[in-house]
Amino acid sequence: MEAYLARCAQSVLSGDADEAERLAREALDKKYPPLDVIEKGFVIGIHEVGRLWEEGTLFLPELVMGAEAMKRAMAILQPSLGEGAARPKSLGHVVIGTIEGDIHDIGKTLVATMLSANGYEITDLGADVPVARFVDEAMKRGAGCIAISALLTTTMSGQKRVVEELGKRSLRGKVKVMVGGAPCSDAWAREIGADGYAGDAVAAVALAQSLMGGR
Amino acid sequence: MTTDFLATIKRRVVIFDGGMGSMLIAAGLTQREVPEQWLLTKADKIGEIQEAYVNAGAEVITTSTFGANRLKLQSSEAGRKLDPARLNEKGAEIARKAIERSGKHDRFVAGDIGPSGLFFPPVGQLKAAEARAAFKEQAKALENAGVDIFIIETMYDLREAVEALRAVREVSSLPAAVTLTFDRKPRGFFTMMGDTTDTAAETLIAEGASVIGANCTLQSGDMIELAQEFRLSTAAPLLMQPNAGRPVMEHGLPVYKQRPREFAEDAAKIVAAGANAVGGCCGTTPDFIREIHNVLIHGK
Repeated sequence: MEAYLARCAQSVLSGDADEAERLAREALDKKYPPLDVIEKGFVIGIHEVGRLWEEGTLFLPELVMGAEAMKRAMAILQPSLGEGAARPKSLGHVVIGTIEGDIHDIGKTLVATMLSANGYEITDLGADVPVARFVDEAMKRGAGCIAISALLTTTMSGQKRVVEELGKRSLRGKVKVMVGGAPCSDAWAREIGADGYAGDAVAAVALAQSLMGGR
Repeated sequence: MTTDFLATIKRRVVIFDGGMGSMLIAAGLTQREVPEQWLLTKADKIGEIQEAYVNAGAEVITTSTFGANRLKLQSSEAGRKLDPARLNEKGAEIARKAIERSGKHDRFVAGDIGPSGLFFPPVGQLKAAEARAAFKEQAKALENAGVDIFIIETMYDLREAVEALRAVREVSSLPAAVTLTFDRKPRGFFTMMGDTTDTAAETLIAEGASVIGANCTLQSGDMIELAQEFRLSTAAPLLMQPNAGRPVMEHGLPVYKQRPREFAEDAAKIVAAGANAVGGCCGTTPDFIREIHNVLIHGK
């Protein structure tokens, strides 16, 4: 089992989605406990990918491939997770998108992928998302967090308007807000009353974990 | 232009210009507009900025054609309506006229080529041939319009920089400067794709770049170290164009906090570290270039 789990982690670390999928199917065939396979196997891999990316050993292509391998394995294992004790507690739902007027997609998609790979449910609204839609979708999905990307100094004020919109609907305490994108910073997050800023996809996972709890 | 650019940069430090995008935003460009549209509708504004750079001491004036390639323009509705060739010709013409108005004829027009905004696999689906064709269309228009050199800049993927450079080489024998944009990681400086100064220098020189270096993302302080690293990687002429720090929002507007003087003092250190040319990127203004000129040329 130890060696098998190490192979699961390695498949994500080397970005081998086919191998990750094969290993996930093997878990179902051999009736390995899926939660263990996820948490002691694949999750270890994605954490290592994130760590190596932060220090500058792996880069964007490896990060994307690692996240893809993670997603393929999760797609197979997720349905087999039982209810109750065997099911990992839901880490929560994140509604994510790039703010209106801004078509930059890649950073946001990367954050969405990494959050998903780390066990959050994600609704990705894409780019150029109107302020009200973030809040509408969060209410509809019972999301615990809204993540807003802005890559332009001219669009980042939209992040502030999302926070204000939550306030208008008396949801400010219930839905956390995280912001990201090149012009943003911790100071900007504080200034607009957001709950946090993340400088990259790995930091976004850490931030989500501190705001919503995590593995 | 009567002087030879390559002979000049090998002999002494050359001062490039500073930011254009952030200057356009200050002049009223909104996020709903494609910046290149201004080449057709507000040529006077672009020309004024470029003339200010000439008067501040910039010897190389960059055309406002950063996003004027077919792939980048196709990413927006307004951009799809624009003809890339026309934009690039116009860009070269505006820069040339700005130099003429200033009466300082020993300045160079650099035809600017920025990234496509797309990604090669596994991140995206960009194909090398597709990138090359778009850059070739742009390079050809700039060449026809009579630029003096090319500058391929803000490249986050060495592979895309190479496609742009090959495109330039297919249509022109003019000098080409290529600058990548680097992040600072605990293990050193890398592009988003993990390219190092070593691989960048070796590859770009082999592909026919005349000048290589870095621009954007980093502030002047970090670029001092990056210049040192680059100098260890290559003997080729180096160009470094840092940002004016990171923007902070004040009253809903982006403000770059770094002062021209501090930037210029760092520019002198970048030169001391081995750079042959310096200029500025986002947030820098003609005041920054004037200070570089003061510090480098007049030593004050």
